[in-house]
Amino acid sequence: MTLAQVPQTDQMPRTNQVFGIDWPVVRAVVARDLRAIRRSKAVVIPMLLVPFLLLVVLPLLVGIAARRASSPTSTISFLDSLPAALAGPIASLPPDEQLLTLVLGYLLAPLFLIVPLMVSAVLAADAFAGEKERNTMETLLHLPIADRDLFIAKFLTGFLPAVAISWIGFTAFAVVANAVSWGIVDGLIVPNGLWLVVIFWVAPAIATLGLGIMVRVSARSRTTQEANQLGGAVILPLIFLAVGQATGLLLVDLAVAFAAGATVWIVALFLVWRGASKFTRDRIAGNA
Amino acid sequence: MIAGTPFDGMNPSTDHDGEIVITTRALSRSFDERVAVDALDLDVHAGEVLALLGPNGAGKTTTVRLLNGVLAPDRGETRVLGMDPNTEGIEVRRRTGVLTETAGLDGRLTARENLEFTARMRGYSIAESRRRVDLQLDRFEMHDMAEFRTAGFSTGQRKRLAMARALLHDPEILFLDEPTSGLDPAATRDVTDLIGSLAREHGRTVLLATHFLGEAGRIADRMAVLDHGRLRAIGRPDDLAAELWNGIPADIDLGGPATSEAIAIVASVEGVMHQEARATGMTISVRDRTAMARVLTALTSTGHAVYGASMRRASMEDVYFALEDSPMESFEQAAR
Repeated sequence: MTLAQVPQTDQMPRTNQVFGIDWPVVRAVVARDLRAIRRSKAVVIPMLLVPFLLLVVLPLLVGIAARRASSPTSTISFLDSLPAALAGPIASLPPDEQLLTLVLGYLLAPLFLIVPLMVSAVLAADAFAGEKERNTMETLLHLPIADRDLFIAKFLTGFLPAVAISWIGFTAFAVVANAVSWGIVDGLIVPNGLWLVVIFWVAPAIATLGLGIMVRVSARSRTTQEANQLGGAVILPLIFLAVGQATGLLLVDLAVAFAAGATVWIVALFLVWRGASKFTRDRIAGNA
Repeated sequence: MIAGTPFDGMNPSTDHDGEIVITTRALSRSFDERVAVDALDLDVHAGEVLALLGPNGAGKTTTVRLLNGVLAPDRGETRVLGMDPNTEGIEVRRRTGVLTETAGLDGRLTARENLEFTARMRGYSIAESRRRVDLQLDRFEMHDMAEFRTAGFSTGQRKRLAMARALLHDPEILFLDEPTSGLDPAATRDVTDLIGSLAREHGRTVLLATHFLGEAGRIADRMAVLDHGRLRAIGRPDDLAAELWNGIPADIDLGGPATSEAIAIVASVEGVMHQEARATGMTISVRDRTAMARVLTALTSTGHAVYGASMRRASMEDVYFALEDSPMESFEQAAR
């Protein structure tokens, strides 16, 4: 190893702060993290497989099953157990449209929320606990980035793909759902009002909730696996919600979905705020 | 110079008379009940290589973190390049470079991507980042590995790349935490040569945290010995040895046993602590190197032929283990 001349240049580093945030630096962290994540099969495969199963395979199977169903009797009896506000519009449809509309238009909506939650949780575990596991956090802490900017970068690393995958996944779901119901249902099954609220209001809130929880969990974890195991419990409430919706025990209509989204936003933002306030170099290095 | 010596705001002597770029006073930090750094007083001059020497858990890494604003102190003050790392951490880190004990490279990224990320984080444009990265890859002879993911790199290659990253922005102060751990002898020599040249030829200030005595002895101007977070001793290796062994031993070749007159002349020189005739001249102990110079002047000016003189330098191992084995009180008493 030889030491050539030390670089001399007039190209001095510049800061480019907007609202006190050094966005080029934030972008650099997000870009690096996403590039690294794209190359990690252990992260990418579950992140894409679950949305594919939920949003492509499942509606495809439901559509095929509905097309083969000879009698919609069970659908009609199920509709009888629903509140009139939710069941009314579906009951007014022709019998062979009812099953497809009920399942694809309403019952899958809560299940869809697993996607932003899972993606954000997986990415947050990689972004926070993963840095510790790879011994790259210490290096990051020695760089000229503010604690808050680092937190924002890590948050965006989880949030942006979670929302993007959710929306792309929903687009795929809409294509599949409308394709399998083509010729049976007049017009488009999705998007409907419930789906729009879920996609644009509840899903980003859920992604934020997943991040808020995983930031806390990751602070106590040394490895990504440990963080994922601890954070895995966050999906349980959504499973209960989906089961409740499917069995008619817990019913989500438009107003409930909107109110639920608002509640999730409040809880999620509180968790993120708490996580951000505890996200300091001193704490991270002290726990490293 | 022994810890506990009243500095009167001044650092123990050093050949570097440049401005002080790192100062700590009573710097302390604990984790739960464990004291990591305890009342550390330190001054480092521009262009100096200071080795923080100590076993694992001595407080070396915590000191580097405190100086670079990664950790906040419980007590005490720090100034790095005139700034408080606790409140001006970003600006301090902009002007310092750090090689952490683990190279801290993302194995999923290539060598080039790891360096470019750091350059972008340091605020350089894309074009300037590429220019600097290319320069560093050339400098460290790693251009042929630039497009390979670092997960497959050997420890030595990772260290070299991490060193390239630490120097990417031409920092004024370089913190090196165990830079040669895990390296083979050839790679160790390369790294120590580089560190030495950074200070000597390019005026960089280097704070070297290490538990390798040979490394510290070869390249450091001074060494500060830490033990359980406390500064046990700081100074030039020779000076440390002098205090620990009541002087630096030296042999003077007079061509025959020293005469009583020669013994008396030497005994009268300030800084001579012990003198004894030997078959070829005499063996003496001097407080520091300047005393040795006075002895030689005194002998030659009084007509005594001096055929040779050599100071027997205590090895780094001697210094280190003497400090390790001695209770703190003995140093504090010595200082008084």
